[in-house]
Amino acid sequence: MMAPEAPPPRVRDPYRFWRAALLGYAGIFFLFLYLPLIVIVVLSFNDSDATGFPMRGLTLKWYTRVLTTPDMLAAFANSASVGAVAAILSTGLALLLGLGFRHELRGKSAVLNLIIMPILLPGIVGGIVLLVFFGYLGLRSELWTTVLVAHVNYVLPFAFLTLYPRLHRFDRSLEEAAMDLGARPWAIFRHIVWPLVRPGVIATAMFAFTLSFDEFIRTVFVTGYERTIPVLFWLLIVDEIAPHLPAMAVVIILVSTAVSLAAFLIGRRADRSA
Amino acid sequence: MPADKAKNAVAVAIHRVSKRFGSVAALDDVSFDIMRGEFFSLLGPSGCGKTTLLRSIGGFEAPTAGDIQIDGQSVLHLAPYARPTNMIFQHLALFPHMNVRDNVAFGLRMKRTDAATTARRVEEALALVRLEGYGDRGIDQISGGQKQRVAMARALVNDPAVLLLDEPLGALDLQLRLQMQVELRRLQRQLGATFVFVTHDQGEAMAMSDRIAVMNSGRIQQIGTPAEIYERPVNRFVATFIGHANLIEGRVAEQRADGTALIDVEGLRVAGTAQALAAPGASMLAVMRYEKLQIEAGGNASVAGTGTSTLATVSEKTYMGAALRFVCRPGVGPTLTVDAPNTEAGRAICEGDSVRVSWAASEINLLAE
Ligand SMILES: Nc1ncnc2c1ncn2[C@@H]1O[C@H](COP(=O)(O)OP(=O)(O)OP(=O)(O)O)[C@@H](O)[C@H]1O
Ligand SMILES: [Mg+2]
Repeated sequence: MMAPEAPPPRVRDPYRFWRAALLGYAGIFFLFLYLPLIVIVVLSFNDSDATGFPMRGLTLKWYTRVLTTPDMLAAFANSASVGAVAAILSTGLALLLGLGFRHELRGKSAVLNLIIMPILLPGIVGGIVLLVFFGYLGLRSELWTTVLVAHVNYVLPFAFLTLYPRLHRFDRSLEEAAMDLGARPWAIFRHIVWPLVRPGVIATAMFAFTLSFDEFIRTVFVTGYERTIPVLFWLLIVDEIAPHLPAMAVVIILVSTAVSLAAFLIGRRADRSA
Repeated sequence: MPADKAKNAVAVAIHRVSKRFGSVAALDDVSFDIMRGEFFSLLGPSGCGKTTLLRSIGGFEAPTAGDIQIDGQSVLHLAPYARPTNMIFQHLALFPHMNVRDNVAFGLRMKRTDAATTARRVEEALALVRLEGYGDRGIDQISGGQKQRVAMARALVNDPAVLLLDEPLGALDLQLRLQMQVELRRLQRQLGATFVFVTHDQGEAMAMSDRIAVMNSGRIQQIGTPAEIYERPVNRFVATFIGHANLIEGRVAEQRADGTALIDVEGLRVAGTAQALAAPGASMLAVMRYEKLQIEAGGNASVAGTGTSTLATVSEKTYMGAALRFVCRPGVGPTLTVDAPNTEAGRAICEGDSVRVSWAASEINLLAE
């Protein structure tokens, strides 16, 4: 029989205080981050005509209202369709840019910076610039003209930044091998490049969709009668604190999160197989 | 089939080709012919321009100057997809999203070959590289050696006039590499195809090639059969790059009528074969390959004056398995390294022993410096 082992001597952790402090900080951090969200979710089920506490019992009626009011549905349709078209256009443009940028070009880095710069522009400035621009052109503010252009304009640099690294990593020797085997440029794109970058392109498009779906500041400057979800939301807040606002917020959060999550999963799969 | 056409015809003619990348001259006025049905290797150290030359033939680099002809036609104006060449890339570049069969079929499909012919030729190509039954495998479901074969099949199925291979065996371990060398050679003989093979492994080039072009910093140093290059290197670079040699500089003491010459190296006389007549007193380089020197124990009577032997003391002995390596110090002159076969007599020689080192004048090359 072995003698029972003596318990190891207790060493006082010299960083104990700091560890505790860090833990506390992290706790507060997450509280600030998520508490408002939780409050919104809870309030969205509150059976009371006034938004806010106290709780008066649970109900789903606000969700029913959100999902049946014609205004709401129209705004959802507007946001979703503009988001989809803006995502396709900006991702398509980003794909072309990215493919082009793999070649040696003169002034390449300058052009790259020009493409990315608009990200640094404050949204409100961007909105005013667009408003002035469309004013000069004499364009009426409409969903499929001004709003769509504003969204593509806003989303494009992000789409490019997401897609370009994937295209840049693409093994050029695959294209050379295809060319060596008789494939002309279009066939190379169709049979080699596209199948391999497709998951990355889809992930980028979904990301672009969420950006467009949530865009508010620029849109509010150039919007016409057809409202997008964020614009409608804002009008509802300004008019009155409508009791179904929390439910609406939850729906928006769900849509954005679902699309982002899907994009993330697709993107991760693409990176793993690349 | 290339094999049907006349042999002794030039398959690829490289004429005064230069290629500059900015200030780097990757190829500097390179000219030579590759014959039809030949296994031709480009051999040289890293960065000497082998890949650049191969890619120029395939159409992936445009030479700055010069012309490249295939079967008598200049191909400089042709894009890679229009050239009668196929290339096997250093990292194979198999299409990861296609299975083995679709990889091999790609070239035929691009040429709009009908489905039945494509299917038949793909199976033939897979049989040729001994991969029958692997058509449905994904590229990530086969071994390194099998990938190698898929790359071969993918190129050969197109029946190229010239097959270009850029260090295709570089990534394989030694055993597989030797096996694939034999395989490649078998394929090349069987098809009678023209292979242009890039390698920086001299043993590989020696074992596989009909002819070798030795390159250094963008220039051709020597072109010849493996034996010519090994036995008669034309300059110091070729002599050192291939095999192991004592390189000894001396002055011509005597030029004989039979083509041999005697040079004097710090008092040591070395007889060798000069590739060109040299005036007495001229500086020459003796290339004495380690294994061309013999070593024997003892030896006190020196055949003085003939320049084919010297007495020496062993200062270092290394056991290398197949061979024994001795570093010997002659009474006069530079140290000589000798590789002797691993025999009982050789093993009996120890460090500090007195030995006689000898050689045949015909085995020693004298190069004008
Ligand atoms: N696209 C390029 N741009 C600039 N320089 C290049 C380019 N390609 C090759 N070079 C240069 O040309 C020279 C020859 O390169 P090359 O790739 O032909 O060498 P190599 O003999 O194939 O070498 P390795 O055995 O390492 O593959 C090198 O100095 C290389 O740096
Ligand atoms: Mg190379």
